[in-house]
Amino acid sequence: MAENRKMRLARAYVPFQQYTRRFAPFDGLMRGTIFPELYLPYRPKEMMGRGEE
Amino acid sequence: MQRDRRELLLKIMALDFTALELNLYLDTHPRDARALEDYNRVTQELFALRQEYQERYGPLIHFGHGYSKYPWQWIEEPWPWEMTF
Amino acid sequence: MWLYEKKLQYPVRVSGPNPWLAKNIITQYGGPDGELSASLRYLTQRYTMPIPEAKGALTDIGTEELAHMEIVAALVYNLIKDATLEQLKAHGMDGYYADHDRALYFVDATGNPWTATYIQSKGDPIADLHENMAAEEKARATYEWLINLSDDPLVTDALRFLRMREIVHFQRFGETLRLVQEWMDRKKFF
Ligand SMILES: [Fe+2]
Repeated sequence: MAENRKMRLARAYVPFQQYTRRFAPFDGLMRGTIFPELYLPYRPKEMMGRGEE
Repeated sequence: MQRDRRELLLKIMALDFTALELNLYLDTHPRDARALEDYNRVTQELFALRQEYQERYGPLIHFGHGYSKYPWQWIEEPWPWEMTF
Repeated sequence: MWLYEKKLQYPVRVSGPNPWLAKNIITQYGGPDGELSASLRYLTQRYTMPIPEAKGALTDIGTEELAHMEIVAALVYNLIKDATLEQLKAHGMDGYYADHDRALYFVDATGNPWTATYIQSKGDPIADLHENMAAEEKARATYEWLINLSDDPLVTDALRFLRMREIVHFQRFGETLRLVQEWMDRKKFF
Protein backbone atom coordinates (compact mmCIF):
# COMPACT_ATOMS: atom_id res chain seq x y z
CA MET A 1 0.00 0.00 0.00
CA ALA A 2 1.21 3.48 -0.82
CA GLU A 3 2.04 5.50 2.30
CA ASN A 4 0.94 9.07 2.88
CA ARG A 5 4.03 10.75 1.45
CA LYS A 6 5.13 14.35 1.30
CA MET A 7 2.46 16.54 -0.19
CA ARG A 8 2.77 18.92 -3.12
CA LEU A 9 1.06 22.14 -4.06
CA ALA A 10 -1.91 22.16 -6.42
CA ARG A 11 -2.86 18.60 -5.53
CA ALA A 12 -5.70 17.13 -3.52
CA TYR A 13 -4.98 14.40 -0.98
CA VAL A 14 -7.30 12.02 0.82
CA PRO A 15 -5.55 9.93 3.48
CA PHE A 16 -5.39 6.19 2.84
CA GLN A 17 -7.68 4.10 5.01
CA GLN A 18 -6.05 1.32 7.00
CA TYR A 19 -8.32 -1.66 7.59
CA THR A 20 -8.31 -3.00 11.11
CA ARG A 21 -11.80 -4.07 12.07
CA ARG A 22 -15.35 -4.11 10.76
CA PHE A 23 -18.94 -4.19 11.95
CA ALA A 24 -20.79 -7.52 11.85
CA PRO A 25 -22.45 -8.06 8.42
CA PHE A 26 -26.02 -7.06 9.31
CA ASP A 27 -24.88 -4.14 11.46
CA GLY A 28 -22.69 -2.93 8.59
CA LEU A 29 -25.56 -3.15 6.09
CA MET A 30 -27.85 -1.15 8.37
CA ARG A 31 -25.20 1.54 8.85
CA GLY A 32 -24.23 1.77 5.18
CA THR A 33 -20.59 0.85 5.78
CA ILE A 34 -18.72 -1.98 7.49
CA PHE A 35 -15.86 0.36 8.44
CA PRO A 36 -16.23 2.09 11.85
CA GLU A 37 -13.74 4.83 10.84
CA LEU A 38 -15.87 5.73 7.78
CA TYR A 39 -19.24 5.65 9.55
CA LEU A 40 -20.24 9.33 9.53
CA PRO A 41 -24.03 9.48 9.96
CA TYR A 42 -26.04 12.60 9.08
CA ARG A 43 -27.45 14.44 12.05
CA PRO A 44 -30.16 16.76 10.72
CA LYS A 45 -30.45 18.47 14.11
CA GLU A 46 -27.13 20.18 13.42
CA MET A 47 -28.90 21.92 10.56
CA MET A 48 -31.23 23.78 12.91
CA GLY A 49 -28.66 26.50 13.58
CA ARG A 50 -28.78 27.24 9.86
CA GLY A 51 -32.52 27.75 9.96
CA GLU A 52 -33.37 24.49 8.21
CA GLU A 53 -35.51 21.49 9.08
CA MET B 1 -42.73 -13.56 1.43
CA GLN B 2 -42.38 -16.23 4.13
CA ARG B 3 -40.36 -15.42 7.21
CA ASP B 4 -37.71 -18.13 6.66
CA ARG B 5 -37.08 -16.94 3.16
CA ARG B 6 -36.88 -13.29 4.17
CA GLU B 7 -34.45 -14.08 6.98
CA LEU B 8 -32.15 -16.09 4.76
CA LEU B 9 -32.26 -13.39 2.09
CA LEU B 10 -31.40 -10.70 4.64
CA LYS B 11 -28.45 -12.78 5.78
CA ILE B 12 -27.23 -13.04 2.20
CA MET B 13 -27.76 -9.30 1.66
CA ALA B 14 -25.72 -8.52 4.77
CA LEU B 15 -22.84 -10.80 3.84
CA ASP B 16 -22.99 -9.63 0.22
CA PHE B 17 -22.55 -6.09 1.48
CA THR B 18 -19.51 -7.05 3.56
CA ALA B 19 -17.97 -8.66 0.47
CA LEU B 20 -18.73 -5.55 -1.62
CA GLU B 21 -17.15 -3.24 0.95
CA LEU B 22 -14.00 -5.38 1.22
CA ASN B 23 -13.88 -5.58 -2.58
CA LEU B 24 -13.91 -1.77 -2.97
CA TYR B 25 -11.27 -1.49 -0.24
CA LEU B 26 -9.08 -4.07 -1.97
CA ASP B 27 -9.37 -2.21 -5.30
CA THR B 28 -7.25 0.56 -3.78
CA HIS B 29 -5.32 -1.67 -1.29
CA PRO B 30 -4.51 -4.77 -3.36
CA ARG B 31 -1.66 -5.78 -1.04
CA ASP B 32 -3.60 -5.68 2.22
CA ALA B 33 -3.27 -9.39 3.04
CA ARG B 34 -5.59 -9.18 6.01
CA ALA B 35 -8.45 -7.63 4.08
CA LEU B 36 -7.87 -10.15 1.31
CA GLU B 37 -8.03 -13.08 3.70
CA ASP B 38 -11.22 -11.65 5.16
CA TYR B 39 -12.68 -11.20 1.68
CA ASN B 40 -11.98 -14.82 0.75
CA ARG B 41 -13.52 -16.07 3.98
CA VAL B 42 -16.67 -14.01 3.47
CA THR B 43 -16.88 -15.17 -0.15
CA GLN B 44 -16.76 -18.80 0.93
CA GLU B 45 -19.50 -18.24 3.51
CA LEU B 46 -21.59 -16.34 0.97
CA PHE B 47 -21.24 -19.16 -1.55
CA ALA B 48 -22.66 -21.66 0.93
CA LEU B 49 -25.56 -19.36 1.90
CA ARG B 50 -26.43 -18.68 -1.75
CA GLN B 51 -26.40 -22.40 -2.44
CA GLU B 52 -28.81 -23.00 0.42
CA TYR B 53 -31.15 -20.22 -0.73
CA GLN B 54 -31.13 -21.34 -4.35
CA GLU B 55 -31.89 -24.94 -3.45
CA ARG B 56 -34.94 -23.80 -1.50
CA TYR B 57 -36.24 -20.84 -3.49
CA GLY B 58 -34.71 -20.91 -6.97
CA PRO B 59 -31.91 -18.98 -8.65
CA LEU B 60 -30.67 -15.71 -7.21
CA ILE B 61 -28.40 -15.10 -10.20
CA HIS B 62 -29.26 -15.89 -13.83
CA PHE B 63 -27.20 -16.96 -16.87
CA GLY B 64 -25.81 -20.20 -15.53
CA HIS B 65 -25.14 -19.23 -11.94
CA GLY B 66 -27.91 -21.21 -10.29
CA TYR B 67 -30.01 -24.30 -11.00
CA SER B 68 -33.76 -24.18 -11.60
CA LYS B 69 -36.49 -26.70 -10.90
CA TYR B 70 -39.40 -27.19 -13.32
CA PRO B 71 -40.96 -24.93 -14.45
CA TRP B 72 -38.28 -22.21 -14.98
CA GLN B 73 -38.00 -20.58 -11.57
CA TRP B 74 -36.05 -17.47 -12.52
CA ILE B 75 -39.23 -15.61 -13.55
CA GLU B 76 -41.05 -16.39 -10.32
CA GLU B 77 -42.38 -13.41 -8.41
CA PRO B 78 -41.69 -11.46 -6.29
CA TRP B 79 -39.04 -9.48 -8.12
CA PRO B 80 -36.79 -7.35 -5.91
CA TRP B 81 -38.90 -4.18 -6.17
CA GLU B 82 -42.01 -6.17 -5.21
CA MET B 83 -40.56 -7.62 -2.00
CA THR B 84 -41.82 -6.26 1.26
CA PHE B 85 -39.49 -6.51 4.20
CA MET C 1 -20.63 -8.36 -19.06
CA TRP C 2 -22.96 -7.97 -16.12
CA LEU C 3 -25.02 -10.38 -14.05
CA TYR C 4 -28.30 -9.59 -12.35
CA GLU C 5 -28.80 -10.69 -8.80
CA LYS C 6 -32.48 -11.04 -7.90
CA LYS C 7 -32.35 -8.98 -4.73
CA LEU C 8 -31.94 -5.36 -3.65
CA GLN C 9 -28.68 -4.23 -2.04
CA TYR C 10 -30.66 -2.79 0.89
CA PRO C 11 -34.17 -3.78 2.07
CA VAL C 12 -36.66 -1.14 0.93
CA ARG C 13 -39.88 -0.36 2.76
CA VAL C 14 -42.37 2.50 2.54
CA SER C 15 -45.19 3.46 4.94
CA GLY C 16 -47.77 3.96 2.18
CA PRO C 17 -48.57 5.90 -1.00
CA ASN C 18 -46.77 9.25 -1.03
CA PRO C 19 -46.57 10.85 -4.50
CA TRP C 20 -45.18 14.07 -3.06
CA LEU C 21 -42.12 12.28 -1.66
CA ALA C 22 -41.75 10.20 -4.84
CA LYS C 23 -41.69 13.37 -6.94
CA ASN C 24 -38.70 14.62 -4.97
CA ILE C 25 -36.82 11.34 -4.58
CA ILE C 26 -37.00 10.64 -8.31
CA THR C 27 -34.19 13.15 -8.78
CA GLN C 28 -31.80 10.48 -7.53
CA TYR C 29 -33.08 8.27 -10.35
CA GLY C 30 -32.78 10.65 -13.29
CA GLY C 31 -31.43 13.92 -11.91
CA PRO C 32 -27.99 15.54 -12.36
CA ASP C 33 -26.49 14.07 -9.19
CA GLY C 34 -28.52 10.86 -9.29
CA GLU C 35 -27.54 7.23 -9.49
CA LEU C 36 -27.93 6.87 -13.27
CA SER C 37 -25.52 9.76 -13.77
CA ALA C 38 -23.10 8.24 -11.26
CA SER C 39 -23.15 4.78 -12.76
CA LEU C 40 -22.77 5.86 -16.39
CA ARG C 41 -20.08 8.38 -15.51
CA TYR C 42 -17.82 5.80 -13.85
CA LEU C 43 -18.54 3.01 -16.28
CA THR C 44 -17.64 5.15 -19.27
CA GLN C 45 -14.56 6.76 -17.71
CA ARG C 46 -13.00 3.44 -16.79
CA TYR C 47 -11.76 2.69 -20.33
CA THR C 48 -9.11 5.39 -20.17
CA MET C 49 -7.94 4.89 -16.58
CA PRO C 50 -4.19 4.25 -16.55
CA ILE C 51 -3.73 1.83 -13.65
CA PRO C 52 -5.45 -1.43 -12.64
CA GLU C 53 -6.59 -0.07 -9.27
CA ALA C 54 -8.48 2.73 -11.04
CA LYS C 55 -10.05 0.39 -13.60
CA GLY C 56 -11.21 -1.82 -10.75
CA ALA C 57 -12.57 0.99 -8.58
CA LEU C 58 -14.53 2.58 -11.45
CA THR C 59 -15.96 -0.73 -12.60
CA ASP C 60 -17.03 -1.76 -9.11
CA ILE C 61 -18.38 1.59 -7.94
CA GLY C 62 -20.15 2.06 -11.29
CA THR C 63 -21.76 -1.33 -10.77
CA GLU C 64 -22.78 -0.54 -7.20
CA GLU C 65 -24.42 2.68 -8.44
CA LEU C 66 -26.67 0.54 -10.67
CA ALA C 67 -27.81 -1.24 -7.51
CA HIS C 68 -28.52 2.18 -5.96
CA MET C 69 -30.53 3.17 -9.02
CA GLU C 70 -32.60 0.06 -8.38
CA ILE C 71 -33.13 1.03 -4.71
CA VAL C 72 -34.32 4.52 -5.70
CA ALA C 73 -36.58 2.98 -8.36
CA ALA C 74 -38.05 0.58 -5.79
CA LEU C 75 -38.74 3.52 -3.45
CA VAL C 76 -40.46 5.59 -6.15
CA TYR C 77 -42.38 2.59 -7.51
CA ASN C 78 -43.74 1.67 -4.10
CA LEU C 79 -44.57 5.28 -3.21
CA ILE C 80 -46.77 5.78 -6.30
CA LYS C 81 -48.04 2.34 -7.30
CA ASP C 82 -51.14 2.50 -5.06
CA ALA C 83 -51.63 6.27 -5.16
CA THR C 84 -55.02 7.37 -6.42
CA LEU C 85 -55.43 9.84 -9.25
CA GLU C 86 -56.68 12.34 -6.67
CA GLN C 87 -53.50 11.90 -4.61
CA LEU C 88 -51.31 12.29 -7.67
CA LYS C 89 -53.14 15.51 -8.58
CA ALA C 90 -53.04 16.88 -5.07
CA HIS C 91 -49.27 16.40 -4.85
CA GLY C 92 -48.19 17.82 -8.16
CA MET C 93 -47.69 14.54 -9.99
CA ASP C 94 -50.44 15.12 -12.54
CA GLY C 95 -47.91 16.27 -15.14
CA TYR C 96 -45.82 13.18 -14.55
CA TYR C 97 -48.94 11.01 -14.77
CA ALA C 98 -49.86 12.58 -18.13
CA ASP C 99 -46.51 11.52 -19.59
CA HIS C 100 -45.76 8.29 -17.73
CA ASP C 101 -48.73 7.12 -15.64
CA ARG C 102 -47.02 5.38 -12.68
CA ALA C 103 -44.08 4.15 -14.72
CA LEU C 104 -40.47 4.89 -13.87
CA TYR C 105 -38.77 7.54 -15.99
CA PHE C 106 -35.44 9.36 -15.72
CA VAL C 107 -36.31 12.88 -14.60
CA ASP C 108 -35.20 15.22 -11.84
CA ALA C 109 -37.48 16.61 -9.09
CA THR C 110 -38.92 19.27 -11.42
CA GLY C 111 -39.43 16.98 -14.40
CA ASN C 112 -36.32 17.67 -16.51
CA PRO C 113 -35.26 14.54 -18.41
CA TRP C 114 -31.85 12.95 -17.87
CA THR C 115 -29.15 14.16 -20.23
CA ALA C 116 -25.58 13.03 -20.97
CA THR C 117 -24.50 16.62 -20.35
CA TYR C 118 -24.75 15.81 -16.62
CA ILE C 119 -21.55 13.79 -16.91
CA GLN C 120 -18.10 14.15 -18.41
CA SER C 121 -15.43 11.75 -19.58
CA LYS C 122 -12.34 13.86 -20.12
CA GLY C 123 -9.67 11.28 -20.83
CA ASP C 124 -7.48 12.90 -18.16
CA PRO C 125 -7.58 10.63 -15.10
CA ILE C 126 -6.86 13.46 -12.64
CA ALA C 127 -9.70 15.56 -14.05
CA ASP C 128 -12.06 12.58 -14.19
CA LEU C 129 -11.35 11.48 -10.61
CA HIS C 130 -11.90 15.02 -9.35
CA GLU C 131 -15.25 15.05 -11.14
CA ASN C 132 -16.13 11.78 -9.45
CA MET C 133 -15.20 13.03 -6.00
CA ALA C 134 -17.34 16.13 -6.58
CA ALA C 135 -20.17 13.93 -7.86
CA GLU C 136 -20.10 11.86 -4.66
CA GLU C 137 -20.30 15.03 -2.54
CA LYS C 138 -23.19 16.38 -4.61
CA ALA C 139 -25.04 13.10 -4.27
CA ARG C 140 -24.38 13.10 -0.51
CA ALA C 141 -25.76 16.65 -0.26
CA THR C 142 -28.84 15.67 -2.29
CA TYR C 143 -29.54 12.77 0.07
CA GLU C 144 -29.26 15.18 3.02
CA TRP C 145 -31.79 17.57 1.47
CA LEU C 146 -34.06 14.59 0.76
CA ILE C 147 -33.70 13.38 4.37
CA ASN C 148 -34.68 16.90 5.51
CA LEU C 149 -37.74 16.76 3.24
CA SER C 150 -38.82 13.18 3.98
CA ASP C 151 -41.94 12.59 6.06
CA ASP C 152 -41.70 8.79 5.89
CA PRO C 153 -39.21 7.26 8.39
CA LEU C 154 -38.95 4.03 6.38
CA VAL C 155 -37.93 5.98 3.29
CA THR C 156 -35.52 8.08 5.36
CA ASP C 157 -33.86 4.86 6.49
CA ALA C 158 -33.01 3.89 2.90
CA LEU C 159 -31.90 7.46 2.12
CA ARG C 160 -29.45 7.29 5.04
CA PHE C 161 -27.96 4.09 3.67
CA LEU C 162 -27.54 5.64 0.21
CA ARG C 163 -25.96 8.78 1.71
CA MET C 164 -23.39 6.71 3.62
CA ARG C 165 -22.38 4.96 0.39
CA GLU C 166 -21.43 8.31 -1.15
CA ILE C 167 -18.98 8.90 1.67
CA VAL C 168 -17.33 5.51 1.16
CA HIS C 169 -17.16 6.11 -2.60
CA PHE C 170 -15.54 9.50 -2.02
CA GLN C 171 -12.88 7.79 0.08
CA ARG C 172 -12.19 5.19 -2.61
CA PHE C 173 -11.96 7.79 -5.39
CA GLY C 174 -9.64 9.82 -3.16
CA GLU C 175 -7.38 6.80 -2.72
CA THR C 176 -7.58 6.10 -6.47
CA LEU C 177 -6.51 9.70 -7.13
CA ARG C 178 -3.47 9.24 -4.85
CA LEU C 179 -2.49 6.06 -6.68
CA VAL C 180 -2.80 7.80 -10.06
CA GLN C 181 -0.71 10.74 -8.80
CA GLU C 182 1.99 8.33 -7.64
CA TRP C 183 1.87 6.51 -10.95
CA MET C 184 2.37 9.79 -12.81
CA ASP C 185 5.31 10.72 -10.60
CA ARG C 186 6.97 7.38 -11.26
CA LYS C 187 6.43 7.83 -14.98
CA LYS C 188 8.15 11.20 -14.86
CA PHE C 189 11.29 9.96 -13.11
CA PHE C 190 11.97 6.61 -14.75
FE1 LIG D 1 -21.79 6.89 -5.14
